[in-house]
Amino acid sequence: MNISQFMTQEHRMCDTTFAEAEQAVANGDWEAAEKAFLQFSNETLTHFKREEDELFPVFESHTGSTEGPTQVMRYEHEQVKGLIGKMAEAIESQEKDTYLSLCESMMILLQQHNMKEEQMLYAMCERLLPPELKDETLEKMKQVEL
Amino acid sequence: MFDQNGLSLDQAPPISVVLRFFLSGALFGIVAGLLILVFNTAIFDPAAIEAVILTHTLTLGVMLSFMFAALFQMLPVIAGVKLTAPVRKANMLQYPFILGVIVLLFAFYSGKVLLFTIASFLLGGAILSITVTMLRELLKLPNHSSSSKGMSIALIALGILTILALYMTGTLGGIFEGMHYLQVKQAHFTFGLFGWIALLIISISFQVIEMFYVTPSYPTLMHKHLPLSLLILIGTGTLLSPIIADVWSFVTPLLALLMVLYALITLKRLTQRKRPITDATVLLWRIGTGLLIASMLLMLSADYSGYTILAKLSYLSFAGFAISIVFAMFYKIVPFLTWFHLSSQGYFTAPMMHEVIHPKTAMRHFYIHSATLLVLALSLFFSPLIYLGGFLTLLSFGWILWQIIHAWRLYLHTQRTGEKFEMNIPTT
Repeated sequence: MNISQFMTQEHRMCDTTFAEAEQAVANGDWEAAEKAFLQFSNETLTHFKREEDELFPVFESHTGSTEGPTQVMRYEHEQVKGLIGKMAEAIESQEKDTYLSLCESMMILLQQHNMKEEQMLYAMCERLLPPELKDETLEKMKQVEL
Repeated sequence: MFDQNGLSLDQAPPISVVLRFFLSGALFGIVAGLLILVFNTAIFDPAAIEAVILTHTLTLGVMLSFMFAALFQMLPVIAGVKLTAPVRKANMLQYPFILGVIVLLFAFYSGKVLLFTIASFLLGGAILSITVTMLRELLKLPNHSSSSKGMSIALIALGILTILALYMTGTLGGIFEGMHYLQVKQAHFTFGLFGWIALLIISISFQVIEMFYVTPSYPTLMHKHLPLSLLILIGTGTLLSPIIADVWSFVTPLLALLMVLYALITLKRLTQRKRPITDATVLLWRIGTGLLIASMLLMLSADYSGYTILAKLSYLSFAGFAISIVFAMFYKIVPFLTWFHLSSQGYFTAPMMHEVIHPKTAMRHFYIHSATLLVLALSLFFSPLIYLGGFLTLLSFGWILWQIIHAWRLYLHTQRTGEKFEMNIPTT
């Protein structure tokens, strides 16, 4: 499994747990919602950390660019983190409509972010980084914990 | 490479650029409702000028406005195209465009040569210049996704469609002799429906279905090759039509088959979405793609049986397809952009998507829209229903108009009164 496949698979896992939480909220099952949401936020934040601590620095040092795509990705991570905070508040106070509304924004934000990573950033990493560096980075990314 | 690719949503144009095209689309929709009330069932007679006027109100006034809104928004965000000075470009397009559509409608009504000439200059100039600008930027992209490729092909089709239209208005305006008028008319019609409207919807859907509803991607064969195949088919039909008289009787079934395949896969993808909640936009996509299938089957049945009622139902279904998809996009884009722009500007009090347009509001509109299509179809069999159809069309586009005004007022209100968190990041 290469970097692109590993990270893309993580995106899909986050989508699944996100959808579980959304459906649970829609059904009014707050216990299940909290559990799925916690899993979603953990998976998402770990994924961001893998990118910000390992993948982005490697990309930046290899391409010599710290103000290009990785900066935009980091900024979008902050936007997603802000929404995760608001969604957590909505779950805690059991505000169904607020949560579902935040879900809409989150999904569009997250999906367009994922598409850009999958179609461009990861593809560029696969193309530009030397094979041994890719293997090493992938291993380091797998070790990252929150 | 990435800088050129315009990665961020922050490179999206100001919200006013998108909303102004939605606004003109909604206003032309209201005009369409009024025209239905005035023209009655003459709108269903393909030989009547009333049908030509209503068709152009819907395709040019409504659809092209909505599609320009989508292009201005999606080219930077989905395709990664950087459109510089979007407000100036939008103004230079929209004012001559609106005036051009109005003049063209009056030209059809009056048959006055001068009006056709003025409409040609206004519409030809506005549409061709933005088409060339957008295409030029698209061709500069180092990496193409299926959507950006599809959008490029749809824009090429729009350019050809416009040139064909100019030939026809030129003929009606006495500039050309119009030796190939009938072939050009058929090509204009096919390029318009399949080459532009359907192709653009298809290209955008390759990304938005996956993005909005979290579904598996479309089959690679389809998203990589369908747009170009459609353009090649239509182009071949057009080029061969002066030599082979019945070329369209071979091309049209193939086009219909591809459309049905696309629609079936979209319906399948909607059943595979990870987010099981069904909102109005999912229903609009379903009804839209369902109507596309109906339209194609009705068109083929009409060709083989010769029953004109089937052809009329086919046109109506096609209009239903295009407008349903446009509404589905509208209900995602407008609330998202309102929230996104305000929250990117740092407003704590940025309204959430449901506060901009509540799902129940969209659902009510879905019922109005469905009733409109049903009543218009029934009016083919019981003509007095056309008045109800006209009224429902007015209500449907009036509903959209109100949502745009509401979103814009909310946007301005938040900017005026909202608490702001100052961030050192670029915002629009």
